[in-house]
Amino acid sequence: MRFAPLAAFLSAALLASSASAGEVVVSAAASLTNAFRDAAQSYEAQYPGSKVSLNFAASGVLLQQIVKGAPVDVFASADQETMDQAQKQGLVLPADRLDFVGNSLVLIVPSDSKLGIKNLPDLAGKGVTRVAIANPASVPVGRYSEGALKTVNLWDSVQPKAISTQNVRQSLDYVARGEVDAGFVYGTDAALMKDKVKVVYEVPLASPVLYPIATIKGSSNGAEAKRFVSYLQTPAAQAILAKYGFKKP
Amino acid sequence: MTPMQLDLDIRATLRSGKRSFTLRVQCVSNSQRIAVFGPSGAGKSMTLKAIAGLFTPDSGHIRLNGRTLFDSAAGINLAPQQRQVAYLFQDYALFPHLTVRQNVGFGLARGWFNPRARVRQEKVEHWLTAFHLQELAHQYPDELSGGQRQRVALARALVSDPAALLLDEPFAALDPALRVSMREELSQWQQRLGVPMILITHDPEDVRLLGEHVLTLRDGQIDARQTTWEEKIG
Amino acid sequence: MDVAWTALALSLKVAAWATALNLLLGIGTGYLLARARFPGRNLLDALLTLPMVMPPTVLGYYLLVLLGRRGPLGIWLQEHFGINLIFTWQGAVIASTVVAFPLVFKPARAAFEAVDGQLEQAARVLGISEMAIFFRVTLPLAWRGILAGVLLGFVRALGEFGATLMVAGSIPGKTQTLSVAVYEAVQAGQDASANMLVLITSVVCIVVLLAAGRLAPGRIVHR
Repeated sequence: MRFAPLAAFLSAALLASSASAGEVVVSAAASLTNAFRDAAQSYEAQYPGSKVSLNFAASGVLLQQIVKGAPVDVFASADQETMDQAQKQGLVLPADRLDFVGNSLVLIVPSDSKLGIKNLPDLAGKGVTRVAIANPASVPVGRYSEGALKTVNLWDSVQPKAISTQNVRQSLDYVARGEVDAGFVYGTDAALMKDKVKVVYEVPLASPVLYPIATIKGSSNGAEAKRFVSYLQTPAAQAILAKYGFKKP
Repeated sequence: MTPMQLDLDIRATLRSGKRSFTLRVQCVSNSQRIAVFGPSGAGKSMTLKAIAGLFTPDSGHIRLNGRTLFDSAAGINLAPQQRQVAYLFQDYALFPHLTVRQNVGFGLARGWFNPRARVRQEKVEHWLTAFHLQELAHQYPDELSGGQRQRVALARALVSDPAALLLDEPFAALDPALRVSMREELSQWQQRLGVPMILITHDPEDVRLLGEHVLTLRDGQIDARQTTWEEKIG
Repeated sequence: MDVAWTALALSLKVAAWATALNLLLGIGTGYLLARARFPGRNLLDALLTLPMVMPPTVLGYYLLVLLGRRGPLGIWLQEHFGINLIFTWQGAVIASTVVAFPLVFKPARAAFEAVDGQLEQAARVLGISEMAIFFRVTLPLAWRGILAGVLLGFVRALGEFGATLMVAGSIPGKTQTLSVAVYEAVQAGQDASANMLVLITSVVCIVVLLAAGRLAPGRIVHR
């Protein structure tokens, strides 16, 4: 009889640690890290008992995880292309997908840089030896950057100097450390490290950067997932996103 | 007979935890055959190693044939390489990765390379023949018997013309029958070659046959009470 | 397929250099710690073993901070030699060397300690210099144990990922080693490419491990 309280405690602990109803697994693009952490906290405060598990990486990486069966409920990507691929593979229903924020693509340099880089053509100059560009094969910001450079016929001269990174935050880190002369990140990322990097150029794009978000088809927490996505469209959530520099879609 | 003059006076204290051991040995001798006798742990090995340069006493001096090997007051401490003595270890310390021939010729090669297995040197061949090791010359130490190994160790030691031969319990690893014959052999060899010899042992028989000047050590000190062996000055 | 062979060639190059460096460093430190007695010897041994227990990403981070453009070593290298190791294959070599070092150094130390000190004493009395003793007695008797460590170090260097990714990045042809190539192929959903790379890496590792197993110390010394 002495063991009853212990047994009760242990079973409660065991049950609590397994994914229970009310837990939503959200895979979001790396650039959403800070904003989504705040939003998740605000969501959990709004709906006590709910739990949001966040998973951040490059959008392409997240897609592969879902393709290979990761138990994800909500997927937020940094570009349409990745979400299109998800849709093509039957992971997302068109009706469940919507664009929830926008962003800008910027060229940044270390804050103490003396190379005088002011625009894209400057990157082709002799003094520039290393430019951080995320891997276009799996990272949206890399694709945006490649597209922008190709549009002005600079890809061939800049690509040999490209330091390929795994995600946008790694590009940001390399610029902040001064390991590269310049890098392509989102406006929201640059804003996080105002003291270490400076934005020298906002890159114009053929189509704006729009982040789609969707619930994954057949996920175990469908209702919760939908509730989270709806929450992101409330004024409270939008305010959080705007605080970090995200634009309205 | 090559004369040998040994002038030894050394002191050393070793501490291990709470125990300590003090060695205090003096000896002046002109004898060709010095035997250091005593039970295990008496300090015999330490004394022999001190002469060879493998152990450095705390103070004192060691002079061999007028040559100072060690003198703490004068700051002299010759490295083992410079002492020109030969040391025979209790378990022979033959190089396991070299053949008998290479072992014997080891001291003659001064560079960074071992003597080649197939190459023959006159001096090496001489000693191999003298100790009846020619048929075994291409074999490795782990293929030999105890007696054979001892002969190889002896040949290796003598090939460099040492000023003295130091033997650390040379027969301890042999069975009794072999001991008798090896003792005889060593005695004959020593006389024939005239190489001065210092031998340490706990076996009275070794002393009887091979000791001319006998030192008895007990607990690191010379035991002035001689039992049945009188000091014989040759 | 091109990616695979380039990555393999690069992996082998980096691993070979790292192993060569570790052979020298491992033998040197292994011998020093086996023979020399000095205060702090055990502490030094622990420090030198640290890369084996530290997560590679942590090591990579330390190396990045140390060798980067603003790091103390990085600045020194830039000023005196005009070189920057980050994002270069040489940087990958440094990362692999550090990570694999304990795997070479510890067996080397053990191998040297297993050599009967009395043999070295015998050689001394026979008049052979210390250096000659090392090459003629100590090393020949220790080399099997050392080699087993070297092979393990080679395999470890071949598979190095975390520290390499941080320090050298993933530049195809320059620093994209096999393990990094696998990672990127999986990330980009290129399964066929990933499978090929994984297969190649596995085969190489198995071959090297088999060779290392045959050199296990304790076998009869001669022949």
